[in-house]
Amino acid sequence: MAKIELRGVAKRWGEVTAVEPTGLTIGDGEFVAILGPSGCGKSTTLFMLAGIYTPSDGDILFDGQRVNDVEARDRNVGIVFQSYALYPNMTVRDNILFPLRFKNVDKAAAARRAEDAARLVQVHELMDRRPGQLSGGQQQRVALARALIKEPQLLLLDEPLSNLDASLRLTMRSEIRALQRKLGVTTLLVTHDQIEATTMADRVICMSRGRIEQVGTADDLYHRPNSIFVAGFIGSPPINLLSCGISAGTMEVGQAKLRATGGEGACVLGVRPESVILGDGPFRGRVGDLEPHGRETIYHLETPLGPVRALEAGAKSRFRVGDELSFALSSTLVFDARSTRRIDGAGAQTPA
Amino acid sequence: MSAVSTSPDWSAVAARARVRNRVTTGFLYVVLVLGSLPIVVPYLWLVTVAVSGRMGATTIVLWRTLAVLMPALVVWSVVRMAVVDLRRQRALEFALGAVTLVVLAAVTGPHLHTDNFRFLWNSNIADTLKGAGGVGKRYPSVWIAFGNSLMLAGIQMLLVVTSSTLAGYYLSRFDFRGRGGYLKGLLILQAFPAMSLIVPIFLIMYWVNLIDSLAGVVLVVAALELPFAIFVMKGFFDAVPWDIEMSAMTDGASRRQAFFLVVLPQVKVGMIAVAVFTFLRGWEEYVFVRTLIFGNSNWTMSLYLFWMQDDMMGTDYAMVSAMGLFYIVPSIVLYTLCQKYLTQMSVGGIKG
Ligand SMILES: Nc1ncnc2c1ncn2[C@@H]1O[C@H](COP(=O)(O)OP(=O)(O)OP(=O)(O)O)[C@@H](O)[C@H]1O
Ligand SMILES: [Mg+2]
Repeated sequence: MAKIELRGVAKRWGEVTAVEPTGLTIGDGEFVAILGPSGCGKSTTLFMLAGIYTPSDGDILFDGQRVNDVEARDRNVGIVFQSYALYPNMTVRDNILFPLRFKNVDKAAAARRAEDAARLVQVHELMDRRPGQLSGGQQQRVALARALIKEPQLLLLDEPLSNLDASLRLTMRSEIRALQRKLGVTTLLVTHDQIEATTMADRVICMSRGRIEQVGTADDLYHRPNSIFVAGFIGSPPINLLSCGISAGTMEVGQAKLRATGGEGACVLGVRPESVILGDGPFRGRVGDLEPHGRETIYHLETPLGPVRALEAGAKSRFRVGDELSFALSSTLVFDARSTRRIDGAGAQTPA
Repeated sequence: MSAVSTSPDWSAVAARARVRNRVTTGFLYVVLVLGSLPIVVPYLWLVTVAVSGRMGATTIVLWRTLAVLMPALVVWSVVRMAVVDLRRQRALEFALGAVTLVVLAAVTGPHLHTDNFRFLWNSNIADTLKGAGGVGKRYPSVWIAFGNSLMLAGIQMLLVVTSSTLAGYYLSRFDFRGRGGYLKGLLILQAFPAMSLIVPIFLIMYWVNLIDSLAGVVLVVAALELPFAIFVMKGFFDAVPWDIEMSAMTDGASRRQAFFLVVLPQVKVGMIAVAVFTFLRGWEEYVFVRTLIFGNSNWTMSLYLFWMQDDMMGTDYAMVSAMGLFYIVPSIVLYTLCQKYLTQMSVGGIKG
């Protein structure tokens, strides 16, 4: 187990910058997720930690020691690739045993460890099959066993669940989480699925275009996003973002005027769909469309503020398309339009 | 028009489709059979004359064989077309095959003999020649030529497979200055007819003192085979996912170990394909042995056959045919053994 530190680590390929200079610390035994859209540099960051890529800049430290020049094979890092990268020419057993081939482990002990690792992820009955004869979920577990058998000081998971069906993903999520708690191994999970990140990890790193946008708990990212990007990326259905202007405590948004606490000039008002409380309140709107989702309904409202998405829990939809209704805003976020940063303490819930 | 009458009579449509299918199948068989006749007849000639000819080319067996095979082929096509039930089709095919064999044995049996193959066990070819006694002394035992061909083809194959595998891997995985130009060069080299190089090659071989030696021919043929083989191997390596290699290296393997343990098994099919094709290429090599080899102890099968044909024109076709048959047997054996792999070639694919 190890404490991992990145100090100004960057990766460039010629003109392309995959990862901008990044600082980050991951505590011993912590489970951290990197969350971001496709192409934002998640895998690149992971591969630099594994030693597959060398950083163009900066230092990587394991337990305070610089490991930039330590080769991948000496870093004792377990990695599960997005494609699982199982060795197709070997049986499951040989796949799991592979990392031990390069360590001084005697045959009997190695076989026992492979059996244990396989049992841990419940693939011990598939030991003599080849990867081609396994389902996606089984392959993923074999890859996990292979990553775990060498007792790595750092476990790296690159979108391990993206190839699985919805229900298997749900099971594997909690299985991986439980396993990580049990083994206490420092773990970095890469994903573009926010639910995966927020449910599995202690802390979430939100990345965009090679830069870390925010590091925090799921709660931080959701309720106190640093920037418009984080606010928009986290949450489903996504947050309503309405451009507005604030002058002297009055916010103009669409045709409406709201009383603003904080903020000045060109801003963006962020309203989470569940913060739109339907049925009663100072604002009027009309239901343009609705999506019943069983447990909840998403309404697309036409309001003086602009088009607003609202989420209401409950098995039955209370309104129909074309209904006029009143609504209130329970909480809002305000961002500076130019810097895209959130303005701390600013909000606008009531009409001016 | 009522709705009922517009719905088509499905069973009639299906019946028409079935008939059309059968006619197409039958037509295809006819085309295939006719199209392959020009290729099949010379081989049939070779085989029949080799096993039945005395002195001149006795073609009676050829005609009788054709007289039996052609009707059998027609009947077979009809069976394929007319009999739908797979079981019955099999049974009929089996019966047809048996009848054909019996009839063939009956009409050709009395004419068959192995006399023409006497060169195989009588190493003093001069004894065995009929009507061309004077030239006999030039000829060593056919097994010497056979051994030379085997050496030429085999060593050349080993050289090409080894170099093209290593070069293909390097080209596929590493970027270096001039890589693009190198790849284009490989293709262009393949486009030139090797014949145009015959004079310079002769001169070079003369300067390096490799005239009249098998080693010289091996080097020349291998060099000419290499560009395409490298290209094919590069295609196979391109198809091997990059991450299994990286995975092996994070698992503790060195680059070389990763190559041998994980990557090489994935390109086995490509190596076999390259091996078979270069072996056959070396086995059939004629132009360069004709140019670079003089001494009869260095003759390869192709030269041996050439001189045989040259000297025995009009005297003993039958033995020349038998020798021709002897010459193509290794090719046929090799193809049969490896066809399973060769037909997988497209799986590895050839990508730029
Ligand atoms: N070997 C490379 N050479 C040049 N550019 C690269 C290379 N590898 C990645 N990149 C670029 O770096 C950026 C980040 O890539 P990376 O693979 O880290 O994205 P990612 O966040 O893992 O995306 P995804 O979710 O799609 O896997 C991308 O814009 C990509 O095009
Ligand atoms: Mg990735």
